[in-house]
Amino acid sequence: MSRILLASILAAFMLASARPAKGLEVEADLDLFPTASLAQEGGGPSMQVEATRIVAQSAISHKQALGEGLTLSGTAWLDADSLPSESPLAVPATKLDLNARLLEFGLEWEALPGALILDLGKKIIHPSSGFFKTPLNMLSRPAVGDVPSSTAAAVGKWEEGWVGADVTWLAGNLTVANFLSPRLAWSQEADQILQYISQQQGEYDDLLRLGLRVGEADLRLLALTSAESIGGADPNMHFQTGAGLDVNLGDSLTIRAEASAADSTERLQVVDATQLTSATQSVAWAPRALLGFTWAEGGSKDLSVMAEYYYNGLGFVGSDYDRLMQYSGNSLAAAGRSVAGGLGVADVLDQYGSFEAARHYGFARVAGDIEDDLAAQLWVVANLQDLSCMTGAVLTFTRDAWAISGAIVDAWGGPDTEEGLSPLLWRLDLELSLFF
Amino acid sequence: MKMLFACLIACLALGTLGAQSPAELLAQIDERRTIPDMSFDLRITSFESGKQKDYNVLRGCVKITDTGNDVLVYFSEPASVKGRKMLMDGRVVYYLFPRTRNPIRLSPLQVLLGETSNGDVARTGFAKDYDVTAFSEAVREGAACYLFKLDAKADRKDSTYAKVDLWVEKASLRPLYAEFSATDGKLLKKAAYEDYRTVEGKDVPFALDISDGDDPQKHTTMTYLLIGRKSVPETAFRRDYLEAWTPELPR
Repeated sequence: MSRILLASILAAFMLASARPAKGLEVEADLDLFPTASLAQEGGGPSMQVEATRIVAQSAISHKQALGEGLTLSGTAWLDADSLPSESPLAVPATKLDLNARLLEFGLEWEALPGALILDLGKKIIHPSSGFFKTPLNMLSRPAVGDVPSSTAAAVGKWEEGWVGADVTWLAGNLTVANFLSPRLAWSQEADQILQYISQQQGEYDDLLRLGLRVGEADLRLLALTSAESIGGADPNMHFQTGAGLDVNLGDSLTIRAEASAADSTERLQVVDATQLTSATQSVAWAPRALLGFTWAEGGSKDLSVMAEYYYNGLGFVGSDYDRLMQYSGNSLAAAGRSVAGGLGVADVLDQYGSFEAARHYGFARVAGDIEDDLAAQLWVVANLQDLSCMTGAVLTFTRDAWAISGAIVDAWGGPDTEEGLSPLLWRLDLELSLFF
Repeated sequence: MKMLFACLIACLALGTLGAQSPAELLAQIDERRTIPDMSFDLRITSFESGKQKDYNVLRGCVKITDTGNDVLVYFSEPASVKGRKMLMDGRVVYYLFPRTRNPIRLSPLQVLLGETSNGDVARTGFAKDYDVTAFSEAVREGAACYLFKLDAKADRKDSTYAKVDLWVEKASLRPLYAEFSATDGKLLKKAAYEDYRTVEGKDVPFALDISDGDDPQKHTTMTYLLIGRKSVPETAFRRDYLEAWTPELPR
């Protein structure tokens, strides 16, 4: 109880301290996550464990013009988490887990107004139009704070960018951009300080993006080159490439299609599901693809329907998939089910359903306004092979300077399905957001 | 945020007439009120039954093109939407949320949240989008007016409003009032142009009141807070520039 009280006090302090200053954009969120999961400790029987996690987050952004065409911008993020593991079996050593990060910080110079833009610093690059999966987001990190999404969005509310230099050239209907990021590594001792500013970057990356407007369609082409070292005897270079298309059909429909593939990606492969042996397998040019649409009714209720299909070339089908499920089930029985992950299925399926084990997935969402200030959405993410799924219902009440939302997320599936093997039973998310 | 797009560009279309044909007169009306490379601060407030429902303060700029108006908009208020950006590029709209990096493509009907067709009201340049099918003189609220009956041009048949009745004051060539209808003649929106002021040598209505054709209790006011002129390159009205665009105080 003292942990919850302390988190609440700190959250209140964070929210209160996020006072508006000239030119600052501030958002502060307080989330309560009552959760029920299956857990097993010391080889004993599985039991339902309920826990409440409290997370207070605040992000402050500012963009400052320094001169004609020259701007400095940044976003800083801070969070306090009462239960980052989400498991009462794995509480943090201290009462609260504190994190801070500089999500973005950079200097931007429009060398030629509207035509040539140079960007130096930490920035987020998200070329993908996908909602629940984003095949074209080749350089991206999970949401900071590891706060679970209540909307099934692939991109977290707050994400840390990559340090590098970006050049963008716009000419007519063509955009050419290139982002070059260095490898950033430092010692474990230094990381105790630097972790509050930035994560390390494990490799050199060069991301080339081409954008072309053809009629009313947007076409994107991407190529990512990565290397763990430059100039070394074994540069160990890797390539990814992708393409995307966005187009409107009539007044109410937008269509998106995109695909990407990497020259080699490692995945875990089950060798023997009974003996619980597995191996790491390198897969060449396994494609990931997304096809989706959003339909808007356009009336006063803002009714919209979104649906996406995701093809995961790294996933398994047929007997390979069955063996993976069997392996996961046996792992659970042998090692025990851990809400915190790290045991049981976590090495294969990740906790709470990562939706990466199979090859075919689907997503659908219906959203609309109930009243002027009250919006609702229902969504489902489904594994189309074993028909296990995760569902969510979200209500959001928004006023000028604050919003409050409630969500319930459930996992559904039989014992040999991806979601059935997830320890998650249900999760609530009660969120208060303040805007300044 | 509901009326946003609605009203947004409405003020872009306001303007003038002589001894010309009705079509030439209509083009003159447009020209008299249209500021090239206009930048603006604009407040949009929606009401229902006399009670304020929603409001937005926007900062933006406009580029007039051969095919229509391209508009960049930054949301200044309320705090819950502050930092959002929008690009209206012809019939395609892109929306960028704060701290995100990929503008979302929206369909025209997604843009027209709430008061569905206000956006089309706003973006309608009369001479560019409509043919004059009838022309007469009329009196409206005591003022001698020209009354234009307009039909959407063949290549604009997909616009929300197939027909417009436009009242223009004879003495000043200021549009005073318009009614927007569907193909079947159903009245969709009514718009009153008010508070004319001279800016950059143009006669600009600083206020526009749009009401719903079905429900007169629902109406939206758009009021310019500031109007200026800022030349922005055409490439700035592109999806890939939206992230870099920094709105400036109109001057």
